[in-house]
Amino acid sequence: MRAWIRRWCALTGAVILTAPVLHVQGQGLRTIAIDERLGMAAGLAVGDSVRFAAMASAPSGQWVRIGAITRRSADPSEIARSEYRVRLHLDQLQSLTGVGDRIGRFAVRTQENAGAPGSASGTVAGPDSVSAAINAMAFGFRAYPAAEVAIETSATFRVVNRFHRAIGIITIVASAIFLLCITLLKVDERRREVGALRLLGLSRATVVRSVMLEASLIALLGSALGAGFGAAASAIVNWYYQGVYATPLRFALVTPEIVAIAVTLSLLLGIVSGYLAAQRLVRTAPLELVGR
Amino acid sequence: MNLTQPVLSARDLRRAYLVAGAPVEAVRGLSLDVHPGEWVAVVGPSGCGKSTLLNLLGAIDRPTSGQLLIRGRDVAVMDDAEATRFRLTGIGFVFQRFYLMPTLSAAENVELPMAEAKRPRAEREARAKELLTYVGLGARTDHRPFQLSGGEQQRVAVARALANRPALLLADEPTGELDARTGEEMIALFDRLNRDGTTIVTVTHDEELAQAARRVIHMRDGVIVDDQVRRPLESVARPA
Repeated sequence: MRAWIRRWCALTGAVILTAPVLHVQGQGLRTIAIDERLGMAAGLAVGDSVRFAAMASAPSGQWVRIGAITRRSADPSEIARSEYRVRLHLDQLQSLTGVGDRIGRFAVRTQENAGAPGSASGTVAGPDSVSAAINAMAFGFRAYPAAEVAIETSATFRVVNRFHRAIGIITIVASAIFLLCITLLKVDERRREVGALRLLGLSRATVVRSVMLEASLIALLGSALGAGFGAAASAIVNWYYQGVYATPLRFALVTPEIVAIAVTLSLLLGIVSGYLAAQRLVRTAPLELVGR
Repeated sequence: MNLTQPVLSARDLRRAYLVAGAPVEAVRGLSLDVHPGEWVAVVGPSGCGKSTLLNLLGAIDRPTSGQLLIRGRDVAVMDDAEATRFRLTGIGFVFQRFYLMPTLSAAENVELPMAEAKRPRAEREARAKELLTYVGLGARTDHRPFQLSGGEQQRVAVARALANRPALLLADEPTGELDARTGEEMIALFDRLNRDGTTIVTVTHDEELAQAARRVIHMRDGVIVDDQVRRPLESVARPA
Protein backbone atom coordinates (compact mmCIF):
# COMPACT_ATOMS: atom_id res chain seq x y z
CA MET A 1 0.00 0.00 0.00
CA ARG A 2 1.30 3.33 -1.00
CA ALA A 3 1.80 6.18 1.36
CA TRP A 4 -0.01 9.48 1.28
CA ILE A 5 1.83 12.11 -0.64
CA ARG A 6 1.11 15.76 -0.22
CA ARG A 7 2.13 18.15 -2.89
CA TRP A 8 1.23 21.75 -3.53
CA CYS A 9 -0.06 21.90 -7.02
CA ALA A 10 -0.86 24.73 -9.37
CA LEU A 11 -3.59 24.30 -11.89
CA THR A 12 -3.37 26.07 -15.22
CA GLY A 13 -6.61 26.87 -16.96
CA ALA A 14 -9.38 28.76 -15.27
CA VAL A 15 -7.82 29.38 -11.87
CA ILE A 16 -4.61 28.91 -9.95
CA LEU A 17 -5.17 26.85 -6.82
CA THR A 18 -3.48 24.35 -4.60
CA ALA A 19 -4.67 20.88 -3.76
CA PRO A 20 -3.40 17.91 -1.76
CA VAL A 21 -2.90 14.76 -3.79
CA LEU A 22 -3.86 11.45 -2.22
CA HIS A 23 -2.48 8.33 -3.83
CA VAL A 24 -4.69 5.22 -3.62
CA GLN A 25 -5.75 2.29 -5.79
CA GLY A 26 -8.93 2.67 -7.86
CA GLN A 27 -10.70 2.05 -11.18
CA GLY A 28 -13.73 3.53 -13.08
CA LEU A 29 -13.08 7.10 -12.06
CA ARG A 30 -12.87 10.30 -14.10
CA THR A 31 -9.47 10.95 -15.49
CA ILE A 32 -7.04 13.80 -15.13
CA ALA A 33 -3.70 14.49 -16.76
CA ILE A 34 -0.68 15.41 -14.68
CA ASP A 35 2.59 17.05 -15.45
CA GLU A 36 5.56 14.73 -15.99
CA ARG A 37 7.43 16.69 -13.33
CA LEU A 38 4.65 16.03 -10.79
CA GLY A 39 4.56 12.38 -11.80
CA MET A 40 8.29 12.03 -11.18
CA ALA A 41 8.24 13.97 -7.88
CA ALA A 42 5.22 12.14 -6.45
CA GLY A 43 5.95 8.76 -7.97
CA LEU A 44 2.65 8.76 -9.85
CA ALA A 45 1.94 6.77 -13.00
CA VAL A 46 -0.92 6.40 -15.48
CA GLY A 47 -3.71 4.34 -13.88
CA ASP A 48 -3.00 5.50 -10.33
CA SER A 49 -5.98 6.96 -8.39
CA VAL A 50 -5.70 10.06 -6.29
CA ARG A 51 -8.06 12.13 -4.15
CA PHE A 52 -8.26 15.64 -5.46
CA ALA A 53 -9.34 18.74 -3.49
CA ALA A 54 -9.18 22.51 -3.96
CA MET A 55 -7.61 23.19 -0.58
CA ALA A 56 -5.05 21.21 1.37
CA SER A 57 -7.23 21.47 4.46
CA ALA A 58 -10.40 20.26 2.71
CA PRO A 59 -11.93 17.28 4.56
CA SER A 60 -12.97 15.53 1.35
CA GLY A 61 -12.22 15.58 -2.32
CA GLN A 62 -12.91 13.81 -5.59
CA TRP A 63 -11.34 10.52 -6.46
CA VAL A 64 -9.81 10.66 -9.94
CA ARG A 65 -7.61 8.40 -12.01
CA ILE A 66 -4.49 9.58 -13.77
CA GLY A 67 -5.27 9.08 -17.44
CA ALA A 68 -2.22 10.72 -18.95
CA ILE A 69 1.11 12.23 -18.08
CA THR A 70 1.90 15.31 -20.14
CA ARG A 71 5.30 16.68 -21.05
CA ARG A 72 5.82 20.42 -21.09
CA SER A 73 6.40 22.09 -24.42
CA ALA A 74 9.92 23.08 -25.48
CA ASP A 75 9.41 26.64 -24.31
CA PRO A 76 12.29 28.42 -22.52
CA SER A 77 9.79 30.42 -20.44
CA GLU A 78 8.55 27.16 -18.90
CA ILE A 79 11.93 26.23 -17.45
CA ALA A 80 11.93 28.62 -14.51
CA ARG A 81 8.40 27.65 -13.43
CA SER A 82 8.65 25.24 -10.57
CA GLU A 83 4.92 24.66 -9.95
CA TYR A 84 3.26 21.36 -10.79
CA ARG A 85 0.41 21.20 -13.28
CA VAL A 86 -2.78 19.16 -13.44
CA ARG A 87 -5.25 19.16 -16.34
CA LEU A 88 -8.89 18.25 -15.76
CA HIS A 89 -12.20 18.58 -17.51
CA LEU A 90 -13.79 22.04 -17.27
CA ASP A 91 -16.93 20.93 -15.44
CA GLN A 92 -14.83 19.00 -12.96
CA LEU A 93 -12.68 22.06 -12.37
CA GLN A 94 -15.76 24.21 -11.91
CA SER A 95 -17.25 21.86 -9.37
CA LEU A 96 -13.94 21.47 -7.58
CA THR A 97 -13.40 25.19 -7.16
CA GLY A 98 -17.04 26.10 -6.64
CA VAL A 99 -16.59 29.18 -8.84
CA GLY A 100 -17.90 27.97 -12.16
CA ASP A 101 -18.68 31.42 -13.50
CA ARG A 102 -15.18 32.76 -13.08
CA ILE A 103 -12.26 32.18 -15.43
CA GLY A 104 -8.80 33.71 -15.52
CA ARG A 105 -7.72 32.87 -19.05
CA PHE A 106 -8.35 30.35 -21.77
CA ALA A 107 -6.88 29.53 -25.18
CA VAL A 108 -8.65 29.27 -28.51
CA ARG A 109 -7.00 27.20 -31.21
CA THR A 110 -7.76 28.30 -34.75
CA GLN A 111 -7.64 25.91 -37.67
CA GLU A 112 -4.31 25.28 -39.31
CA ASN A 113 -3.56 27.66 -42.22
CA ALA A 114 -6.44 29.83 -41.09
CA GLY A 115 -6.31 33.26 -42.62
CA ALA A 116 -3.49 32.26 -44.94
CA PRO A 117 -3.68 33.59 -48.48
CA GLY A 118 -5.40 31.06 -50.67
CA SER A 119 -7.08 29.23 -47.78
CA ALA A 120 -9.96 26.99 -48.73
CA SER A 121 -12.74 29.39 -47.86
CA GLY A 122 -13.25 32.83 -46.51
CA THR A 123 -15.16 31.45 -43.54
CA VAL A 124 -11.98 30.38 -41.72
CA ALA A 125 -10.50 33.30 -39.81
CA GLY A 126 -6.90 33.82 -38.78
CA PRO A 127 -5.64 34.42 -35.23
CA ASP A 128 -5.50 38.19 -35.72
CA SER A 129 -9.05 38.47 -36.95
CA VAL A 130 -10.31 36.07 -34.26
CA SER A 131 -8.72 38.12 -31.50
CA ALA A 132 -10.02 41.33 -33.08
CA ALA A 133 -13.54 39.88 -33.21
CA ILE A 134 -13.40 38.76 -29.55
CA ASN A 135 -12.07 42.11 -28.41
CA ALA A 136 -14.83 43.88 -30.34
CA MET A 137 -17.71 41.87 -28.85
CA ALA A 138 -16.51 41.14 -25.32
CA PHE A 139 -16.10 43.40 -22.36
CA GLY A 140 -13.80 42.89 -19.41
CA PHE A 141 -11.06 40.87 -21.00
CA ARG A 142 -8.75 41.00 -23.93
CA ALA A 143 -7.61 38.43 -26.52
CA TYR A 144 -4.07 38.27 -27.80
CA PRO A 145 -2.73 36.26 -30.75
CA ALA A 146 -0.29 33.57 -29.57
CA ALA A 147 2.51 35.09 -31.64
CA GLU A 148 2.11 38.40 -29.83
CA VAL A 149 2.24 36.68 -26.45
CA ALA A 150 5.31 34.74 -27.55
CA ILE A 151 7.10 37.93 -28.60
CA GLU A 152 6.27 39.58 -25.29
CA THR A 153 7.39 36.64 -23.19
CA SER A 154 10.58 36.10 -25.21
CA ALA A 155 11.90 39.63 -24.69
CA THR A 156 14.15 38.38 -21.89
CA PHE A 157 15.50 35.65 -24.08
CA ARG A 158 16.29 38.13 -26.83
CA VAL A 159 18.43 40.06 -24.33
CA VAL A 160 20.10 36.82 -23.25
CA ASN A 161 20.60 35.93 -26.90
CA ARG A 162 22.34 39.27 -27.55
CA PHE A 163 24.49 38.71 -24.50
CA HIS A 164 25.52 35.29 -25.82
CA ARG A 165 26.25 36.80 -29.21
CA ALA A 166 28.50 39.43 -27.60
CA ILE A 167 30.36 36.69 -25.71
CA GLY A 168 30.68 34.77 -28.98
CA ILE A 169 32.14 37.76 -30.81
CA ILE A 170 34.63 38.46 -28.02
CA THR A 171 35.62 34.78 -28.05
CA ILE A 172 36.10 34.82 -31.82
CA VAL A 173 38.24 37.98 -31.70
CA ALA A 174 40.37 36.59 -28.87
CA SER A 175 40.69 33.25 -30.68
CA ALA A 176 41.69 35.00 -33.89
CA ILE A 177 44.48 36.87 -32.11
CA PHE A 178 45.56 33.68 -30.36
CA LEU A 179 45.49 31.71 -33.61
CA LEU A 180 47.52 34.39 -35.39
CA CYS A 181 50.15 34.37 -32.64
CA ILE A 182 50.35 30.57 -32.65
CA THR A 183 50.63 30.47 -36.45
CA LEU A 184 53.36 33.11 -36.41
CA LEU A 185 55.26 31.17 -33.77
CA LYS A 186 54.86 27.82 -35.49
CA VAL A 187 55.87 29.22 -38.87
CA ASP A 188 58.79 31.03 -37.28
CA GLU A 189 60.03 27.69 -35.95
CA ARG A 190 60.54 26.66 -39.56
CA ARG A 191 62.43 29.74 -40.63
CA ARG A 192 65.62 27.75 -41.28
CA GLU A 193 63.87 25.19 -43.48
CA VAL A 194 62.02 27.92 -45.34
CA GLY A 195 65.26 29.89 -45.72
CA ALA A 196 66.96 26.79 -47.14
CA LEU A 197 64.08 26.27 -49.58
CA ARG A 198 64.39 29.88 -50.71
CA LEU A 199 68.13 29.34 -51.21
CA LEU A 200 67.35 26.21 -53.22
CA GLY A 201 65.23 28.33 -55.54
CA LEU A 202 61.68 28.05 -54.25
CA SER A 203 59.87 31.29 -54.98
CA ARG A 204 58.21 33.55 -52.43
CA ALA A 205 54.82 32.65 -53.94
CA THR A 206 55.46 28.94 -53.39
CA VAL A 207 56.38 29.53 -49.75
CA VAL A 208 53.30 31.71 -49.18
CA ARG A 209 51.04 29.15 -50.90
CA SER A 210 52.48 26.26 -48.89
CA VAL A 211 52.13 28.02 -45.54
CA MET A 212 48.60 29.16 -46.35
CA LEU A 213 47.60 25.70 -47.52
CA GLU A 214 48.94 24.13 -44.34
CA ALA A 215 47.28 26.75 -42.14
CA SER A 216 43.98 26.20 -43.99
CA LEU A 217 44.15 22.44 -43.59
CA ILE A 218 44.92 22.80 -39.89
CA ALA A 219 42.01 25.25 -39.58
CA LEU A 220 39.67 22.80 -41.34
CA LEU A 221 40.82 19.92 -39.16
CA GLY A 222 40.51 22.11 -36.06
CA SER A 223 37.01 23.24 -36.96
CA ALA A 224 35.97 19.63 -37.63
CA LEU A 225 37.31 18.60 -34.22
CA GLY A 226 35.69 21.67 -32.65
CA ALA A 227 32.32 20.87 -34.23
CA GLY A 228 32.59 17.28 -33.01
CA PHE A 229 33.50 18.42 -29.52
CA GLY A 230 30.69 20.99 -29.57
CA ALA A 231 28.16 18.37 -30.65
CA ALA A 232 29.30 16.02 -27.88
CA ALA A 233 29.24 18.78 -25.25
CA SER A 234 25.84 19.91 -26.49
CA ALA A 235 24.47 16.36 -26.20
CA ILE A 236 25.74 16.11 -22.61
CA VAL A 237 24.29 19.53 -21.65
CA ASN A 238 20.92 18.66 -23.19
CA TRP A 239 20.83 15.23 -21.57
CA TYR A 240 21.60 16.70 -18.13
CA TYR A 241 19.26 19.72 -18.15
CA GLN A 242 16.40 17.94 -19.91
CA GLY A 243 16.55 15.49 -17.03
CA VAL A 244 16.77 18.23 -14.38
CA TYR A 245 13.84 20.26 -15.77
CA ALA A 246 11.85 17.36 -17.26
CA THR A 247 11.55 19.17 -20.55
CA PRO A 248 12.21 18.32 -24.18
CA LEU A 249 13.75 21.77 -24.59
CA ARG A 250 17.20 21.68 -26.21
CA PHE A 251 19.49 23.90 -24.20
CA ALA A 252 22.46 23.76 -26.55
CA LEU A 253 22.27 23.57 -30.33
CA VAL A 254 24.86 22.61 -32.94
CA THR A 255 23.01 23.10 -36.21
CA PRO A 256 24.41 22.69 -39.74
CA GLU A 257 24.28 26.48 -40.05
CA ILE A 258 26.40 26.90 -36.90
CA VAL A 259 28.89 24.30 -38.17
CA ALA A 260 29.03 26.03 -41.56
CA ILE A 261 29.69 29.41 -39.92
CA ALA A 262 32.34 27.90 -37.63
CA VAL A 263 34.14 26.14 -40.50
CA THR A 264 33.99 29.24 -42.72
CA LEU A 265 35.26 31.47 -39.95
CA SER A 266 37.99 29.04 -39.00
CA LEU A 267 39.08 28.66 -42.62
CA LEU A 268 39.11 32.42 -43.06
CA LEU A 269 41.20 32.87 -39.92
CA GLY A 270 43.54 30.09 -41.04
CA ILE A 271 44.04 31.67 -44.46
CA VAL A 272 44.60 35.17 -43.04
CA SER A 273 46.96 34.04 -40.27
CA GLY A 274 48.83 31.77 -42.72
CA TYR A 275 49.17 34.64 -45.18
CA LEU A 276 50.48 37.05 -42.54
CA ALA A 277 52.91 34.48 -41.15
CA ALA A 278 54.15 33.60 -44.65
CA GLN A 279 54.57 37.25 -45.59
CA ARG A 280 56.68 37.76 -42.49
CA LEU A 281 58.93 34.91 -43.62
CA VAL A 282 59.34 35.80 -47.28
CA ARG A 283 60.09 39.43 -46.50
CA THR A 284 63.15 38.27 -44.58
CA ALA A 285 66.30 37.57 -46.60
CA PRO A 286 66.92 33.80 -46.99
CA LEU A 287 70.41 34.13 -45.54
CA GLU A 288 68.97 35.77 -42.46
CA LEU A 289 66.39 32.98 -42.20
CA VAL A 290 69.08 30.30 -42.13
CA GLY A 291 71.00 32.33 -39.58
CA ARG A 292 73.99 33.41 -41.65
CA MET B 1 81.72 19.28 -73.33
CA ASN B 2 83.73 22.43 -73.91
CA LEU B 3 86.39 22.48 -71.23
CA THR B 4 87.73 25.89 -72.25
CA GLN B 5 84.45 27.63 -71.42
CA PRO B 6 84.28 28.04 -67.61
CA VAL B 7 81.07 27.21 -65.78
CA LEU B 8 81.83 30.07 -63.43
CA SER B 9 83.86 33.17 -64.09
CA ALA B 10 84.41 35.90 -61.48
CA ARG B 11 86.30 39.10 -62.23
CA ASP B 12 87.40 41.61 -59.60
CA LEU B 13 84.55 40.52 -57.34
CA ARG B 14 83.96 42.67 -54.27
CA ARG B 15 81.47 42.50 -51.45
CA ALA B 16 81.37 45.10 -48.70
CA TYR B 17 79.14 45.25 -45.62
CA LEU B 18 78.42 48.15 -43.36
CA VAL B 19 79.62 47.30 -39.87
CA ALA B 20 78.88 49.98 -37.27
CA GLY B 21 78.46 52.47 -40.11
CA ALA B 22 81.81 51.70 -41.69
CA PRO B 23 82.20 49.59 -44.88
CA VAL B 24 84.09 46.32 -44.39
CA GLU B 25 85.08 44.30 -47.46
CA ALA B 26 84.58 40.58 -46.99
CA VAL B 27 85.65 39.80 -50.56
CA ARG B 28 88.23 42.12 -52.13
CA GLY B 29 88.78 42.04 -55.86
CA LEU B 30 88.63 38.26 -56.28
CA SER B 31 88.94 36.67 -59.71
CA LEU B 32 88.29 33.01 -60.35
CA ASP B 33 87.40 30.57 -63.15
CA VAL B 34 85.86 27.16 -62.51
CA HIS B 35 85.69 24.78 -65.45
CA PRO B 36 83.28 21.91 -66.01
CA GLY B 37 84.24 18.81 -64.09
CA GLU B 38 86.35 20.62 -61.53
CA TRP B 39 86.09 20.11 -57.80
CA VAL B 40 87.28 23.20 -56.00
CA ALA B 41 87.70 23.35 -52.23
CA VAL B 42 87.85 26.84 -50.75
CA VAL B 43 89.66 26.83 -47.41
CA GLY B 44 90.87 29.48 -45.03
CA PRO B 45 90.48 30.74 -41.49
CA SER B 46 87.14 31.92 -40.11
CA GLY B 47 86.20 35.38 -41.37
CA CYS B 48 88.42 35.15 -44.47
CA GLY B 49 85.41 35.61 -46.75
CA LYS B 50 84.88 32.08 -48.04
CA SER B 51 81.21 31.89 -47.02
CA THR B 52 80.62 35.32 -48.56
CA LEU B 53 82.25 34.05 -51.74
CA LEU B 54 80.01 30.98 -51.74
CA ASN B 55 76.93 33.20 -51.30
CA LEU B 56 78.03 35.30 -54.27
CA LEU B 57 78.76 32.23 -56.43
CA GLY B 58 75.35 30.83 -55.56
CA ALA B 59 73.44 34.00 -56.54
CA ILE B 60 72.31 34.26 -52.94
CA ASP B 61 74.07 37.56 -52.44
CA ARG B 62 75.01 40.31 -54.88
CA PRO B 63 78.53 41.62 -55.31
CA THR B 64 79.14 45.27 -54.50
CA SER B 65 81.15 45.45 -57.70
CA GLY B 66 82.77 43.17 -60.27
CA GLN B 67 81.40 40.65 -62.69
CA LEU B 68 80.16 37.13 -62.01
CA LEU B 69 79.15 34.91 -64.91
CA ILE B 70 77.65 31.48 -64.32
CA ARG B 71 77.07 29.52 -67.50
CA GLY B 72 77.56 32.82 -69.32
CA ARG B 73 74.85 34.67 -67.40
CA ASP B 74 75.67 37.73 -65.34
CA VAL B 75 74.36 36.91 -61.88
CA ALA B 76 75.15 40.37 -60.48
CA VAL B 77 72.43 42.06 -62.54
CA MET B 78 69.65 39.58 -61.77
CA ASP B 79 66.72 40.74 -59.67
CA ASP B 80 65.45 38.60 -56.79
CA ALA B 81 62.95 36.60 -58.85
CA GLU B 82 65.49 35.93 -61.61
CA ALA B 83 68.16 34.92 -59.11
CA THR B 84 65.69 32.60 -57.36
CA ARG B 85 64.80 30.94 -60.66
CA PHE B 86 68.46 30.71 -61.59
CA ARG B 87 69.30 29.03 -58.27
CA LEU B 88 66.49 26.55 -58.83
CA THR B 89 67.68 25.27 -62.18
CA GLY B 90 71.33 26.30 -62.43
CA ILE B 91 72.86 25.70 -59.01
CA GLY B 92 72.65 22.91 -56.47
CA PHE B 93 73.18 23.64 -52.78
CA VAL B 94 74.31 21.37 -49.98
CA PHE B 95 74.27 22.98 -46.55
CA GLN B 96 76.12 22.12 -43.39
CA ARG B 97 72.76 21.49 -41.76
CA PHE B 98 70.71 19.39 -44.08
CA TYR B 99 67.50 21.47 -44.02
CA LEU B 100 65.25 18.66 -45.16
CA MET B 101 61.51 19.16 -44.79
CA PRO B 102 60.62 17.05 -41.75
CA THR B 103 57.11 16.22 -42.97
CA LEU B 104 58.25 14.94 -46.37
CA SER B 105 59.82 11.60 -47.23
CA ALA B 106 63.32 11.38 -48.68
CA ALA B 107 61.90 11.04 -52.19
CA GLU B 108 59.50 13.97 -51.69
CA ASN B 109 62.37 16.12 -50.43
CA VAL B 110 64.30 15.32 -53.59
CA GLU B 111 61.23 16.00 -55.74
CA LEU B 112 60.66 19.42 -54.18
CA PRO B 113 62.95 21.47 -56.47
CA MET B 114 61.65 19.56 -59.49
CA ALA B 115 58.06 20.28 -58.50
CA GLU B 116 58.95 23.97 -58.25
CA ALA B 117 60.50 23.71 -61.72
CA LYS B 118 57.18 22.25 -62.95
CA ARG B 119 58.61 18.89 -63.97
CA PRO B 120 55.97 16.19 -64.65
CA ARG B 121 55.22 13.93 -61.71
CA ALA B 122 56.42 10.74 -63.42
CA GLU B 123 59.71 12.38 -64.33
CA ARG B 124 60.12 13.69 -60.76
CA GLU B 125 59.49 10.31 -59.20
CA ALA B 126 61.85 8.51 -61.57
CA ARG B 127 64.57 11.13 -61.07
CA ALA B 128 64.22 11.08 -57.27
CA LYS B 129 64.49 7.30 -57.21
CA GLU B 130 67.50 7.39 -59.54
CA LEU B 131 69.28 10.00 -57.39
CA LEU B 132 68.51 8.32 -54.09
CA THR B 133 69.79 5.04 -55.51
CA TYR B 134 72.91 6.88 -56.68
CA VAL B 135 73.62 8.18 -53.17
CA GLY B 136 72.95 4.74 -51.68
CA LEU B 137 69.46 5.31 -50.30
CA GLY B 138 67.43 3.43 -52.92
CA ALA B 139 65.78 1.35 -50.21
CA ARG B 140 64.89 4.31 -48.02
CA THR B 141 62.98 6.56 -50.38
CA ASP B 142 59.87 6.56 -48.18
CA HIS B 143 61.67 7.31 -44.93
CA ARG B 144 61.24 10.68 -43.31
CA PRO B 145 64.26 12.70 -42.17
CA PHE B 146 63.85 11.74 -38.51
CA GLN B 147 64.12 8.09 -39.55
CA LEU B 148 67.49 8.72 -41.19
CA SER B 149 70.95 9.20 -39.69
CA GLY B 150 72.85 12.46 -40.15
CA GLY B 151 74.92 10.99 -42.97
CA GLU B 152 71.82 9.66 -44.70
CA GLN B 153 70.09 13.02 -44.38
CA GLN B 154 73.10 14.69 -45.97
CA ARG B 155 72.93 12.16 -48.82
CA VAL B 156 69.29 13.08 -49.36
CA ALA B 157 70.35 16.74 -49.37
CA VAL B 158 72.96 15.95 -52.06
CA ALA B 159 70.32 14.13 -54.11
CA ARG B 160 68.00 17.13 -53.73
CA ALA B 161 70.76 19.49 -54.86
CA LEU B 162 71.23 17.46 -58.04
CA ALA B 163 67.52 17.15 -58.82
CA ASN B 164 67.32 19.80 -61.53
CA ARG B 165 70.66 18.80 -63.11
CA PRO B 166 72.52 21.98 -62.07
CA ALA B 167 75.67 23.14 -63.81
CA LEU B 168 77.34 23.73 -60.47
CA LEU B 169 77.09 22.08 -57.05
CA LEU B 170 77.93 24.36 -54.12
CA ALA B 171 78.53 22.83 -50.71
CA ASP B 172 78.99 24.77 -47.50
CA GLU B 173 80.81 22.66 -44.92
CA PRO B 174 79.05 19.46 -46.09
CA THR B 175 80.87 17.33 -43.50
CA GLY B 176 80.55 19.87 -40.69
CA GLU B 177 77.69 18.08 -38.90
CA LEU B 178 78.93 14.54 -39.51
CA ASP B 179 81.18 12.24 -37.50
CA ALA B 180 84.54 11.15 -38.94
CA ARG B 181 83.32 7.91 -40.54
CA THR B 182 80.20 9.45 -42.05
CA GLY B 183 82.30 12.40 -43.18
CA GLU B 184 84.56 10.02 -45.08
CA GLU B 185 81.53 8.45 -46.74
CA MET B 186 80.37 11.92 -47.76
CA ILE B 187 83.83 12.73 -49.21
CA ALA B 188 83.66 9.48 -51.17
CA LEU B 189 80.25 10.46 -52.49
CA PHE B 190 81.51 13.88 -53.58
CA ASP B 191 84.50 12.20 -55.24
CA ARG B 192 82.20 9.85 -57.13
CA LEU B 193 79.93 12.73 -58.13
CA ASN B 194 82.93 14.66 -59.45
CA ARG B 195 84.33 11.66 -61.30
CA ASP B 196 80.91 11.27 -62.90
CA GLY B 197 81.16 14.85 -64.17
CA THR B 198 79.59 17.11 -61.54
CA THR B 199 81.31 20.46 -61.09
CA ILE B 200 81.68 21.14 -57.36
CA VAL B 201 82.74 24.09 -55.24
CA THR B 202 82.96 23.40 -51.51
CA VAL B 203 83.77 25.70 -48.65
CA THR B 204 85.28 23.71 -45.82
CA HIS B 205 87.42 23.54 -42.74
CA ASP B 206 87.70 19.78 -43.20
CA GLU B 207 91.28 19.01 -44.23
CA GLU B 208 90.32 15.56 -45.58
CA LEU B 209 87.61 17.03 -47.77
CA ALA B 210 90.01 19.67 -49.08
CA GLN B 211 92.65 16.97 -49.79
CA ALA B 212 90.11 15.00 -51.82
CA ALA B 213 89.30 17.97 -54.09
CA ARG B 214 91.04 18.42 -57.44
CA ARG B 215 91.83 22.04 -56.73
CA VAL B 216 92.30 23.87 -53.42
CA ILE B 217 91.96 27.63 -53.07
CA HIS B 218 93.26 29.28 -49.91
CA MET B 219 91.67 32.56 -48.91
CA ARG B 220 92.75 35.17 -46.42
CA ASP B 221 91.27 38.61 -45.75
CA GLY B 222 88.92 38.41 -48.72
CA VAL B 223 91.47 37.48 -51.35
CA ILE B 224 92.88 34.26 -52.83
CA VAL B 225 96.37 33.70 -51.48
CA ASP B 226 96.95 30.26 -52.97
CA ASP B 227 95.36 28.26 -55.80
CA GLN B 228 96.64 24.68 -56.23
CA VAL B 229 95.51 22.09 -58.74
CA ARG B 230 96.11 18.73 -57.04
CA ARG B 231 94.57 16.48 -59.68
CA PRO B 232 94.16 17.79 -63.22
CA LEU B 233 91.06 17.06 -65.22
CA GLU B 234 91.77 13.87 -67.14
CA SER B 235 88.31 13.25 -68.52
CA VAL B 236 84.85 14.40 -67.70
CA ALA B 237 81.91 12.06 -67.78
CA ARG B 238 78.26 12.98 -68.08
CA PRO B 239 77.00 14.64 -64.91
CA ALA B 240 74.70 12.60 -62.66
